[in-house]
Amino acid sequence: MTTLAFLTALAPLTGLVAALAGARARVAGAAQVAGAAAALGCAVALLVTLTHHAPLQGLDGFLYADTLSGFFLLTVAAVTLLASLGSVSYIAAQADSGELSGFQVRLYYSFFSLFAALMLASLETGNLGLLFVLVEASTLASAALVGLEARARSLEAAWKYVIISSLGVTIALAGTLFVFYSASALHPASNLALTWPYLMAHASALAPQSLRLAFLLAVVGYGTKVGLAPMHTWLPDAHAEAPSPASAMLSAALLNTGMYAIIRFLALAHARLGATYPRAVLLSFGFASIVIGALFMVRRGNFKRLFAYSSVEHMGIIAVALGFGGILGLYGALLQVLNHALAKTVLFLSSGDVSLRYRTREAAGVTGLLSAVPLTGGALLLATFAVLGSPPFGVFLSELTIVRAGFARGSPVFPLLLLALLGVAFFAFARTITGMVTGPAPPPASRVQTPATEPVLVGQAAVPDGRVAAPASPLAAPGGTPAAAGARAGLVSPYRSRAAVVITAVPLVLGLLALLVLGLWIPAGLDTVLRQSAAVIG
Amino acid sequence: MQSLSASTTAGVLLDLSGALMLLLAFACLASKLFNRYVAYYGAQSVVLAFAAGTSAVAFHSAELWILAALTLAVKGIAIPVAARRVLVRRLALKRDAAMSTGLSTSLIAGGALTAFAYLVTRPALLPHGTVAAAVVPLSTAVILLGALAMVVRRHTVAQLIGWLIVENGVFLGAITLVATFPFIVEAGIFLDIVAGVLIMIVFVSGLTRELAQASAAELRELRG
Repeated sequence: MTTLAFLTALAPLTGLVAALAGARARVAGAAQVAGAAAALGCAVALLVTLTHHAPLQGLDGFLYADTLSGFFLLTVAAVTLLASLGSVSYIAAQADSGELSGFQVRLYYSFFSLFAALMLASLETGNLGLLFVLVEASTLASAALVGLEARARSLEAAWKYVIISSLGVTIALAGTLFVFYSASALHPASNLALTWPYLMAHASALAPQSLRLAFLLAVVGYGTKVGLAPMHTWLPDAHAEAPSPASAMLSAALLNTGMYAIIRFLALAHARLGATYPRAVLLSFGFASIVIGALFMVRRGNFKRLFAYSSVEHMGIIAVALGFGGILGLYGALLQVLNHALAKTVLFLSSGDVSLRYRTREAAGVTGLLSAVPLTGGALLLATFAVLGSPPFGVFLSELTIVRAGFARGSPVFPLLLLALLGVAFFAFARTITGMVTGPAPPPASRVQTPATEPVLVGQAAVPDGRVAAPASPLAAPGGTPAAAGARAGLVSPYRSRAAVVITAVPLVLGLLALLVLGLWIPAGLDTVLRQSAAVIG
Repeated sequence: MQSLSASTTAGVLLDLSGALMLLLAFACLASKLFNRYVAYYGAQSVVLAFAAGTSAVAFHSAELWILAALTLAVKGIAIPVAARRVLVRRLALKRDAAMSTGLSTSLIAGGALTAFAYLVTRPALLPHGTVAAAVVPLSTAVILLGALAMVVRRHTVAQLIGWLIVENGVFLGAITLVATFPFIVEAGIFLDIVAGVLIMIVFVSGLTRELAQASAAELRELRG
């Protein structure tokens, strides 16, 4: 079992090895996919073992995995595989068009695999201090991904991300110190005392005053990584500026890793302080996030920012579900973690395809997706309905469970408020997306048009039919803002081969299928996992 | 083992170091020159290394000695020297103009935050008469002042120094509150700080090249 745990965390590093060996975009991508697939296989095997055996412990408590960690490992490994698949064609297309240099491609795969490995490792450690170290290291690795394109905008986003997250995680470190201090009555032997199983077993001996402070600091600190309002301000910028597969990793893997840390602290606080105090903290931050997320989604603009605010909203929903508590609330929260991760991955990956083809990230610049690129458009539309909680998909089921958990807790005020906010989010999100998928498709890209001055040129360009991968860069259009130029520019076909188009579609189809299955039927194995994990939290 | 009495020599020295670190944080908050920011941060780190050494003597801990040496070498010398060479001198930074409040306002806010730190950490949380009860409010105040510097200053280099001051505050709390913190973890935290500073330096230099002036006040493109 120890070997499996190590393999899970180390397997994604194939991308780093390939990049260091100087591989080109396609080879490095293939290595990354192979590693991610191996990691997912190991995570599934580990999870199956964990449901039947006692938690895995080793290395003085530095290695620890129970069903809860196994469940998060599964989620993060699945997202990593989908995002790796998405990276293959996206990064190759960016490299072909000259947007990314060979060095940047190698940088991308190095940090992508480091990022994935660090997140998986942080889910496998039982030591709170090491958890901090790994989470902070994953922040740094992903900051390099956010700033990859090295333009002023992406560097600005990366700076904002790294400085705010580092500050947040430092606050979480202060929380970790107070947890350790609260255990001082136990006269702990140094390494073992700072591990989850030891603290949970001795919860009744912890000093409640400092544990209260520790829990609050941990929620604020790790909540910064989760994107809970009001610590969410880095999130939309980082998600919008990162390459799309990296955005998927941020939104669907990184945020959940932070949530895992909060859940561990919650379990501890719950065991010592009872339900009332953690509930108040989580409900406040949760509802603040849902309100902020829903309101900012009303604004139309960059569609990746829209998805980012939807992540803020969903993390808020998960926090609220944890606050509702009870077996129903915890079950719903965990199910929501998995569903949101899958749906958001599909959304970001399809947005990557859209931004490659339309050369814009503004929603106003994109129309007619369904007729122009039926598969991506369809995936975007279906994933939109999935993420908003429409019936055939998994999110519907988990959100229903959460609302039921709220009603089961007594006061109907909170679940009703939750429903109302979900309604606002639904309309705000769907309004922008329907504008993107419907309408007439733009013509295939020709040379940059400056309307009304040289109509002849457009006509000429439309004649030769065999243009594949026309090197159009409408952002350099003379006059007009980039957004407007993007809106006018028409479609680019960014991929060199049919194979790349197929590879682009694979993660979208896989993700949607998984969401559909989760909405119609929860496998018995997953049900056991969720019940056991909920029991770990309390 | 955890709680050192405040009246021992080591306790008094730790208390003194904490007070000195708070003063240096205030000095940083009150200055306007990039050179000074770096100098005050370096001095604060040296005091922190001294505090770690004191704590190492009191607890007879070899690990804390290593920690003290690391603090002196990395935070006291390496980071300030690197910051001065790579950032302040090469980017020709002199006077920091990008502040959102005046100096007096931020000093008053700093005073208020210090009082707040005492208010939160004193009652019921820490046993009376221990060195932790004396130093943890100080370290909390240092953390809050560092965060205040990050909020008030809009220049990226100043924000970086603010984060490092926060980190110093957390370390001061760590060596007095829980001297038996696992060493591997402390070493990992050090590694993170070094990596963090490196990557931030890359971003700051890149931003400066892109914008000609690395002021976060100019960073207005991403909003909403």
